[in-house]
Amino acid sequence: MLSFKIAARFLKSSPGQSILIMAGIAVGIATQIFVGSLITSLKADLVDSAVGSSAHITLQAVNDGATVTGDMAADAAASEDVISTAVPVRTLSGIYVNGDDSVPLSITGGNAEKLDTIYGLSRRMAEGSFRLNEGEAVVGTVFAETYDVRPGDELDILLASGSPATFTVTGVFDLGQAAANERIVFVDAGSAADALQMGDDEYSAVQIQLSDVFASSEVAERLADEFDVEAVDWQAENEQLLTGLTAQSGSSVMIQGFVLVAVALGIASTLAISAVQKTRQIGILKAIGMSDAASGRIFLWQAALLGAGGTLGGIALGFGLIALFSVIPVSFSIRPEPSFVALSAVIGITVAMLSAVIPARSTSRLDPIEVIQNG
Amino acid sequence: MADLLVADALEKVYGEGASATRALKNVSFTVKEGEFASIVGQSGSGKSTLLNLIGLLDAPTSGTVLFAGENTTAMGRKGRSRVRNEGLGFVFQFHHLLPEFSVWENLTMPAQIAGQAIDAELRDRTLKMLDLLGLEGFEKKNANQLSGGQKQRVAIGRALMNQPKLILADEPTGNLDTKNTEMVYDLFRTINAELGTTFLIVTHDRVVAQQTDRILEVRDGELVQDVRNDYAG
Repeated sequence: MLSFKIAARFLKSSPGQSILIMAGIAVGIATQIFVGSLITSLKADLVDSAVGSSAHITLQAVNDGATVTGDMAADAAASEDVISTAVPVRTLSGIYVNGDDSVPLSITGGNAEKLDTIYGLSRRMAEGSFRLNEGEAVVGTVFAETYDVRPGDELDILLASGSPATFTVTGVFDLGQAAANERIVFVDAGSAADALQMGDDEYSAVQIQLSDVFASSEVAERLADEFDVEAVDWQAENEQLLTGLTAQSGSSVMIQGFVLVAVALGIASTLAISAVQKTRQIGILKAIGMSDAASGRIFLWQAALLGAGGTLGGIALGFGLIALFSVIPVSFSIRPEPSFVALSAVIGITVAMLSAVIPARSTSRLDPIEVIQNG
Repeated sequence: MADLLVADALEKVYGEGASATRALKNVSFTVKEGEFASIVGQSGSGKSTLLNLIGLLDAPTSGTVLFAGENTTAMGRKGRSRVRNEGLGFVFQFHHLLPEFSVWENLTMPAQIAGQAIDAELRDRTLKMLDLLGLEGFEKKNANQLSGGQKQRVAIGRALMNQPKLILADEPTGNLDTKNTEMVYDLFRTINAELGTTFLIVTHDRVVAQQTDRILEVRDGELVQDVRNDYAG
């Protein structure tokens, strides 16, 4: 502990120098926390916008026209911890005709409560309420505005089978995507079964959401094998988005890496100067019996103290920057992950310690005679 | 009295080949426990080199230094550090105190290096040392706030704190006025008499050397004289 005590005293004896180097570390760590959290939050926001309100994996029968069962949905949900919800649905297509204009629709029929677990419709109603009793439907905002459809209106759809169907609109949803808000219509499970001539336990597909969206490829593969179905995952259908996200993460890691290198060089040069400044004292301490190892530890402790102080300051500064960012009106907020902040702290202190290796080694090699002889 | 220090055939050569300089040539002598001796010589005679070798601050090119029965020449850096801390006390011309630390901290530094806890015994020993040095009330002062004579007294106290067997003093009064010089020698004599600590004082000043019991003279790297001085004290 004597090495620690001497290190602390050396730092205290040059307060300006100590504060400057801690400020340097703080800026580096703050940049790391801010940039890292910004990119992570941006990625999460983009992924959430893209697939937050849709199925991450869709299980369908391998043969056209074949169906899957409600039990399969329950079994799939039980088979993997990462599956947060598995909902059996009946999907069909139709056309909405309005005078000369017509729009193709993608109709999803299912239990309202279960559909809510994937699409979050009850939270996303722009108008009316989310309710799907027999013969009821909800439509998207773009569709509602384009064709002036309001809750309570009757909606006539020409189904792909050629037969017409009429639904009562109970609400208008906003899924955050224009295409989905124009084309998707949710209807009750019974009406969809009638239209598709399906039995009570027959469904077109099982839609699945995962707690970890990036596990979809592996989970889809396992589910396809286990249930002998076709499993389509969102990543296979969104390759461009994924390429963009990977590039973004890569550039973020590079920025963080360069910042850390700059911090390390700053600490190393300051400690090297400090080692030269304190050569006389180290020589005296060695002359009165301090070992090479103990004298080297003085600089490791100095680095640890500077690293810890700078890192704490950096965390405070990083959170300050994030708070400042929240004032700017953007579509998403930065949510720093505690584990990432902890990792940044560990990296900050480790980089500081590594930067001290060279001055610590040169100090431990110093011969006291060099100092004593020179007065 | 037992032999405390045995220097045997010490040689120190700086440089190599044609530019090699023999700073010490086959120097041998023995110092017994409790002696109060001096090494004299002109500047460049090799006396400080000799002090550095017997103080384990430097290694001889050949020859051995036995300290308290241990062959220090065969020791590694760690072993030499331990002997410097536990067995030797240094007093340098330029006091060499640690400016970042108080008088109290400078005094207790050798004990702390030895791994001793700051307990009642150490506190008591430090207070007694302050009393012996005539520095009561100065313990909280920073080393930089002291006069030259006070700094040298603290340096002497630091050298004594681990109760070493041998004090090596290199021109300890070189930077002091007459009054402080006398005070330092009185202090050395008191410690030698009361604690039995052995002293080896390097000086270029024959007047100073005359106050010691034994005078070893170094000239051109050789020990040319080793005499008892019955007129000292």
